[in-house]
Amino acid sequence: MAAVLEVSDLSKVYRDVIALDRVSLSVEEGSLFGLLGPNGSGKTTMIKVLTGQIRPTGGSARVLGLDAEHEGLRIRERVGIIPEQESPPSFLTAMEYLEFVGAVRKIPDIRERADEWFDYLEFGDKKNVLCKDLSRGTRQKLMFAQAFIHEPALALIDEPLINFDPIMQDVVKAYLAEYVKSGKTVFLSTHILEVAEEICSSFGILHRGRLLHSGPVTDLTEKGMHLPGFFLSLVRKGGHA
Amino acid sequence: MPELFMRMMKEEWRMHSTIFGQVSFALFPVMIFGISFMGSFLLPYLRPALLIGDLALATHAMFLVLGAMVGGFGLMGNEMMNRRFGQASLLAYSARSLPLSGKFIFANFVVKDTVYYFFLWVLPFCAGYIAAAPFTGTSLPSAFLLLLTLALAFMAGLCTVFLLSSLYVRSRAACGILVIVGGLALLASFLSTGPTLALLFPPYMLYSGFSWGLLFALCAILAAMCALSILLFSAEETGTTKVHGDLFTPLVRRFANLQQSPLVAKDLVDLYRSGIGIGQALFSFTIPLVVIWFFLSLAGSFLPSYGLIVLFAMITGVIGSTMYTWVTEFDSFGPYACLPVSVSTLIQSKMTTCALLQVLPAAFIAIAAVLSGESGNLLPAVVLCVAFSLYAAGVMAYLCGLSPSVLVYDVKVLFTYLVLDGVVFAIFSAVSFANPMYAISSVLLLIPGWLLVKAAMRRWDAVDPAGFG
Repeated sequence: MAAVLEVSDLSKVYRDVIALDRVSLSVEEGSLFGLLGPNGSGKTTMIKVLTGQIRPTGGSARVLGLDAEHEGLRIRERVGIIPEQESPPSFLTAMEYLEFVGAVRKIPDIRERADEWFDYLEFGDKKNVLCKDLSRGTRQKLMFAQAFIHEPALALIDEPLINFDPIMQDVVKAYLAEYVKSGKTVFLSTHILEVAEEICSSFGILHRGRLLHSGPVTDLTEKGMHLPGFFLSLVRKGGHA
Repeated sequence: MPELFMRMMKEEWRMHSTIFGQVSFALFPVMIFGISFMGSFLLPYLRPALLIGDLALATHAMFLVLGAMVGGFGLMGNEMMNRRFGQASLLAYSARSLPLSGKFIFANFVVKDTVYYFFLWVLPFCAGYIAAAPFTGTSLPSAFLLLLTLALAFMAGLCTVFLLSSLYVRSRAACGILVIVGGLALLASFLSTGPTLALLFPPYMLYSGFSWGLLFALCAILAAMCALSILLFSAEETGTTKVHGDLFTPLVRRFANLQQSPLVAKDLVDLYRSGIGIGQALFSFTIPLVVIWFFLSLAGSFLPSYGLIVLFAMITGVIGSTMYTWVTEFDSFGPYACLPVSVSTLIQSKMTTCALLQVLPAAFIAIAAVLSGESGNLLPAVVLCVAFSLYAAGVMAYLCGLSPSVLVYDVKVLFTYLVLDGVVFAIFSAVSFANPMYAISSVLLLIPGWLLVKAAMRRWDAVDPAGFG
């Protein structure tokens, strides 16, 4: 399998804070990669750098063969992104927001696709409600729909399940599994370890900007280990396994 | 009460210093002091041309508008902070998470706004005037009286906005009726008394003829407005979810020829649905310009017959250029970050929206030209107004990127903005005063304006997007 995402010695420094410290990793096509780490470990920064939203201060990152530092716009054309804590624009309705995404991404049959997503995520009754009046969970559904509506080859998702109820979490997990089966790739960041263990095929652990470990989940399960226990012991030690 | 009040004061300071930088923001009152101090030395030269009472009235009107703007910002602050910083939360919106009533928090908020902006704006302005008094021949008691009456003018603006907003939450109809009745009463008084109506503005009346009775009456009215707004205040939401028709797609189709039609359509929907478009058109455009027209007309006898409309066209252009802030102030980069949209594309689309909105200043100046009997100079006035507005918006885009209302408090940026606009203002004043038809040459300003936008796109693409403001 070819690597769709390659990161080499990537660093990002915000004034006196080292958010990413010489991180190197690779994600293969058709995998569901989970970037795990405690709060403030650098996960969100990693997604921002990979999608060209911010520039690295050192190292390099290639996404779908494109340089993240200089070709961010082309990367964002080809991937789907769900940023953490971002909401859709307040004064567009849910349908208008997806039409807006469709117009920017030049998707011709956007209304049909939007209706499919309203049905799939069960919020068709909210499609003409302003985004500011939607509940947090419904906004998350909308953000999920906008990330996948153009059927990208790679989706980068920050905390994908955090606002969903258990039923919707199940729907989304099933969708991600099917999506990966079709040969596409998901890169998600989360600190919910049980979810990562359940759905990810490979993972990396980020702590204080440093990548402590990366590899397939099966490496752990074959040794009879569980991801939460492994994660906690590694982060508490703060060093390499 | 003191604990919450002090924390709100700290929060306000931190909010500003986080956005504008500690030093830049700390220098802001110093700059106000400096402008007022140096401006005071112009008074002896202005006195022969302009009645000192007119200047005092203009200053009181300015602080009334400032109070209204501060009140409006305070009420919209949480939304603005959320958009700028993500999940921001202000103490004023903490009624659900603190064991304090909404009314108690709102009362603290009102006191905080009054005290904070008194020290930020009113005191430095008056301190400059008072410091210059021994050199300009102004009597000290009069200078100290100005401090009192400007503070009251500021509070009048603040309390009016708080009262109207509290009433608006309770009953939109009642608020609407109050505004319409008040507006009609003012209009009727204006038609019967003319410009002298402005002389009846109570803080100004107090300044021009101090009396303890008037002071107590004015304080009682302001206290009553404050108390009423606190009593009427309600943090509860109606709980209804309104359904809206599709505005976006028809707008995209209508502007299909524009390069960034989806982004422009989104801006227009935002302006319409948020009420920002109507609010800004009224409070940041029409009312200030009507006030400015009123005061400019006092100087009519010192200008050539066409001078007033030429000068007003350029001032309308300056105010028209702030439409660039209308489309950036309440937006955030977040929703665009997950799309193939760059900062330069956004600057371009915001400028396009700003250019479309220029229909408002163009119409306004055309009406002013007709009403003032200067229909013959309508074309040069409209061209001058729109060209100057687009040039000034280009300057703003270059200096501030997507955060013009934030960077206005940066002393260096503000100074550069004033110089770049001031030079052009002076040149075209001279050219247009020589012959009003020469004002058509201002169309040339579109060239530097466009170059500035292009430079802004290059400049701000090279910086990590921080957000809007």
